[in-house]
Amino acid sequence: MTEPAIRVDGLHYAFGANTAVDDVSFTVAPGEILGFLGPNGAGKSTTIKMMTGLLDPQAGTITVLGMSMPGEKEAIQAEIGVCFEEKNLYLNMTGRENLVFFARLFGIKGLDPDPLLRRVDLFDRADDRAADYSKGMRQRLMVARSLVNRPRVLFLDEPTDGLDPVSSLAIRRIIREEADRGAAVVLTTHDMLEADKLSDRVAFIHEGRILAIDAPETLKLAHGKRSVRVRSQRGGEVEESVISLDGDGADDEIRRAVGVEGLLTIHTEEATLEDIFIEFAGRGLR
Amino acid sequence: MRNIGRVLRKDLRLGPRSPFILYAFVLPVIMTLLIRSVFGGLFDAKPRLAIVDLGASQVTADAMELDGIEVSLLSDADTLRNQVESHDFDAGLVLPAGFDEAVRSGTRPEMALYISGESLASDRVVLAVTTIDLVREVSGEPPPVEVEVISFGEESLELSLRLLPLIMIYAVAIAGAMVPALSLVEEKEQNTIDALLVSPASVHELMAAKVLLGVILAFSTGVMTLAINDAFSGELLGIVITLLVAAVMMAEVGVILGAWAANTNTMFTVFKGGGIFLFYPVVFFIWPDLPSWIARMGPTYYFLQPIFDLAVGGAGFGDVAGDIAIGAAICLALVPAVLFMGRWLERSRGGGAAAVPEKELEGV
Repeated sequence: MTEPAIRVDGLHYAFGANTAVDDVSFTVAPGEILGFLGPNGAGKSTTIKMMTGLLDPQAGTITVLGMSMPGEKEAIQAEIGVCFEEKNLYLNMTGRENLVFFARLFGIKGLDPDPLLRRVDLFDRADDRAADYSKGMRQRLMVARSLVNRPRVLFLDEPTDGLDPVSSLAIRRIIREEADRGAAVVLTTHDMLEADKLSDRVAFIHEGRILAIDAPETLKLAHGKRSVRVRSQRGGEVEESVISLDGDGADDEIRRAVGVEGLLTIHTEEATLEDIFIEFAGRGLR
Repeated sequence: MRNIGRVLRKDLRLGPRSPFILYAFVLPVIMTLLIRSVFGGLFDAKPRLAIVDLGASQVTADAMELDGIEVSLLSDADTLRNQVESHDFDAGLVLPAGFDEAVRSGTRPEMALYISGESLASDRVVLAVTTIDLVREVSGEPPPVEVEVISFGEESLELSLRLLPLIMIYAVAIAGAMVPALSLVEEKEQNTIDALLVSPASVHELMAAKVLLGVILAFSTGVMTLAINDAFSGELLGIVITLLVAAVMMAEVGVILGAWAANTNTMFTVFKGGGIFLFYPVVFFIWPDLPSWIARMGPTYYFLQPIFDLAVGGAGFGDVAGDIAIGAAICLALVPAVLFMGRWLERSRGGGAAAVPEKELEGV
């Protein structure tokens, strides 16, 4: 069995009396994308801060690529890439200068930033200052920066938040490519669709605790409700009924509905990750 | 440790793009020019007298031996007039052929003394009186009166000289303390510090880079300030060592402030309020009658006084070594505070500054 790229066990952190992360445990395999889902203040960012070395855990252990955090922080940080939700580029530097500077911090001399800039579609604006970039361009540059050292573990905090669909698509494509290359990816997002599409597994985190962790499809099948929504017209009125596929007698109900006079539409409905999250947490993500 | 150099190079490269760094270099120049325009030069040269001597006069020979004025010999009267007019000299004297003989025979020969319109009044008086004295010596007549020189009032330096510490503190405090503080605060405001802290660069490398940035800039502006004020007349090694102490002390103060301040506004407010602690010893140079023990309470006294003594007072390194040693000790004492603030900064970025144990706070 492949050794996990990340192993987190019994992680705990409290800010004074407020527990931010409470007994969190999970693993991420090389090449796997783990989606971290939870509302604001759920503990996602605190967990990532501990995994990246910004914060020392108060209890529990973190092992990244076989090394212990924070004991071997510098060795771990040389192997990871991090893209925070907050924009943190040197605005007075050009896109190219931002990448070259961070490459040097990783001990990479003479980095040719052009392939990375092309990859995030910023090659034509490489010599413009980051201050002149749009929000989407800055986000793409941050993603490019997180890749300068070809990281074996990638942490992405809300990488597509507030971006236009084209920029979001470009970033999702890069995340998938990095995972295919073998990088373990930890991705936090509010976007359920994004998590569903990208993640090999998702972890629901709420009030500092992991409520569930599994493949999106498995979670939906195990905890979601499948149904068929039927709309028909009788007289001048439109009627709508929902037939649960999980209960007994669903077959008969569907046959009856299909045979009804004035049938307008039939839609199958699957549970979304948000539905599952609500089932676990008793509240939505936003 | 290599990342110290990488972060420092980045900061120095971005320097010219920062209006504040340009301000740090321009401010001492502006202050010097202002003070010069009001009080004259801090270290004005001696009055400059040009002489065209068409007859090997004794006046020229005697003038050349004087310490108080700077004498240059020119070949013709037209050149002399032009150079006095352009203020290359404060005054010009044309001695015709046979001048000495004419003076001795009592025929009262003509002698033209040209005065530059831009020369200081004090220089005009010195040159005019000196010239008359020289001519009297040629005539062999004794001076009409004996002058007894009596010192009146306490001996003190000109105000323009006493303003040197003011320019110096501005130069090193703005460049040495404000620039690294601002650089660190901007790293926080732009969140770039988070990107640095999850890279192989450690927070201590970051702090060291900012200290070095302040040291380099403060030392540069200090040297520049002394140079434009012609104050490199003292013991060079002593001045360099004192400037280094000043640069390190200011850079450490700046980095501590930058690590603590949450944003630019807070930083400027604290600097404006707390800056008095750094600036107040200057007052005791401007008004030397005030008790100096109060000045000694301020850390900046321990580089301002040595620089003043070396550059203005003509002191040797041995005379100021005690004060420099105290200044160096203050720099050393600030090192643990810089390290602590580095850790505090790291934890505050993670959101965990509140978790710093109380006993660590007690150590600073």
